[in-house]
Amino acid sequence: MGRVKIARKSTFIDMTAMSDVTVLLLTFFMLTSTFLSKEPATVVTPPSVSQEKVQETNYVQVLVNPEGKVWLTMHNDTSQDYSNEKMKAALLDKVAEEYNRTHTKKIQFTALQKQAFSKLGSFGVPLSQMGEFLDLAQLPEGQTAMDKWLMGEDNNPNHRTGIPINWNSNEDTPNEFQLWMKAMRQTDNQNLADKIKDGTGVAIKADQNTAFEKIHMVMDNLQTIHMNKFTLLTALKAEGE
Amino acid sequence: MAEVAQNNGGGKGKSHQKKMQIRVDFTPMVDMNMLLITFFMLCTTMIKSQTLNISLPSNEKVDNVENMSQASEEDAVTIILDARLKRGSLTDIDSVNGKVVNEVYYYFGKPGNGSENPTGENNNLQKSEFLTDEINAAGVPTARGIRQIIQQRNKEVLAEITKLKEKYQKGGFGSLETKDGREKAQAAYDEAAKKVRRSENLKKPVIIIKSTPRASYGGLVEVLDEMQINSISIYQVDNMTKVDSVMLIDYQNRHR
Repeated sequence: MGRVKIARKSTFIDMTAMSDVTVLLLTFFMLTSTFLSKEPATVVTPPSVSQEKVQETNYVQVLVNPEGKVWLTMHNDTSQDYSNEKMKAALLDKVAEEYNRTHTKKIQFTALQKQAFSKLGSFGVPLSQMGEFLDLAQLPEGQTAMDKWLMGEDNNPNHRTGIPINWNSNEDTPNEFQLWMKAMRQTDNQNLADKIKDGTGVAIKADQNTAFEKIHMVMDNLQTIHMNKFTLLTALKAEGE
Repeated sequence: MAEVAQNNGGGKGKSHQKKMQIRVDFTPMVDMNMLLITFFMLCTTMIKSQTLNISLPSNEKVDNVENMSQASEEDAVTIILDARLKRGSLTDIDSVNGKVVNEVYYYFGKPGNGSENPTGENNNLQKSEFLTDEINAAGVPTARGIRQIIQQRNKEVLAEITKLKEKYQKGGFGSLETKDGREKAQAAYDEAAKKVRRSENLKKPVIIIKSTPRASYGGLVEVLDEMQINSISIYQVDNMTKVDSVMLIDYQNRHR
């Protein structure tokens, strides 16, 4: 009986080429990625036929959640002189100065607190609690505590999130939201001020099911401080919708 | 590729060592890279969100009434947005797309035809709907709902825009063959379309957008979209007046 000899072949698959491809892809994604920044509220923006893209630098995002709470995010120039960190520290100084002019209970920030503020993404707590909020950054686990505060998930009833805002059409007695927005115009970053003036520098991001009343209050506040032009962030509308 | 051929003392015949191959197994490396890619893919935002530019009128009181920009009665169209209510007083939410269902009302010219009492017979408020175009067998879209109403008021401008579109497709703004040519033609078309939209010689409506407090923000964006779709150049977002509210309540009471 003759036996059929089966040649033993190695099952080794050469993965080098595969590895090359994956490394290339990885490099691509690493270089092009901009991370989703964590926001205090998740919103679904309304669909629109508008094709215009949001700009990457020099704009202020006003995030409004369905309950009408407001948070701000400041995006500055890419240049070193007007970096986000420098401008935010300046912004906090400016706001504190304006706040102290009209309030009897003065606020003051330490260098450490200012540094903590300059590293924040979205912000939005009442100015009277801002000091306490920024002190959290010094603690271990501080970032988590701050995020929780902003999202309204820490179980401290005294901690309020969202920038205080109300119907106010008197420019001489601005509310805190108006103080912040006015200060945005007054930093050294002239590019941001110009963008705010031509309307592309203020972007309102809100959920599609938010009652118009809440958005109207934000718009009305902006109109009062002569920011009549702004943009609304929308999502791309699917065909046939 | 991932192997290094070793040839130990190839010249000397006595060596019994075989020709050995050192192979490096890249499979774990690929595994790890794949994981990293997945991580980056999930964490990136490739799609940038779109923006919609709007400008609102100044909040300041105008002392001199003559300085206020006035829309003539025949041009003015007021659109009022309201949310549909379920029984009880909750807003109705679409179970399919999770959006608040909005209702849209409109009137031409002055509220209540300018009369003292805008209710009943004098109430010129009408109801419409947000509808997409109906496309017939030949592929020609027909506007419906509020879009049809706006299009009828803006007929002259839209006719000009259609002409421009045809001209663009025939290459009237420059050749569409090359990418560079297409961009130039597009820019020329945009410029011409802008001129038509703002033209003084064409009759065009002035649209005033109002919204009740309970209507959703998504609805407002929808109305603003209609402005863009229908090439409306003059529109503004304004506050509800007392007369508007009276008319709306009157209409809703009669059509319950």
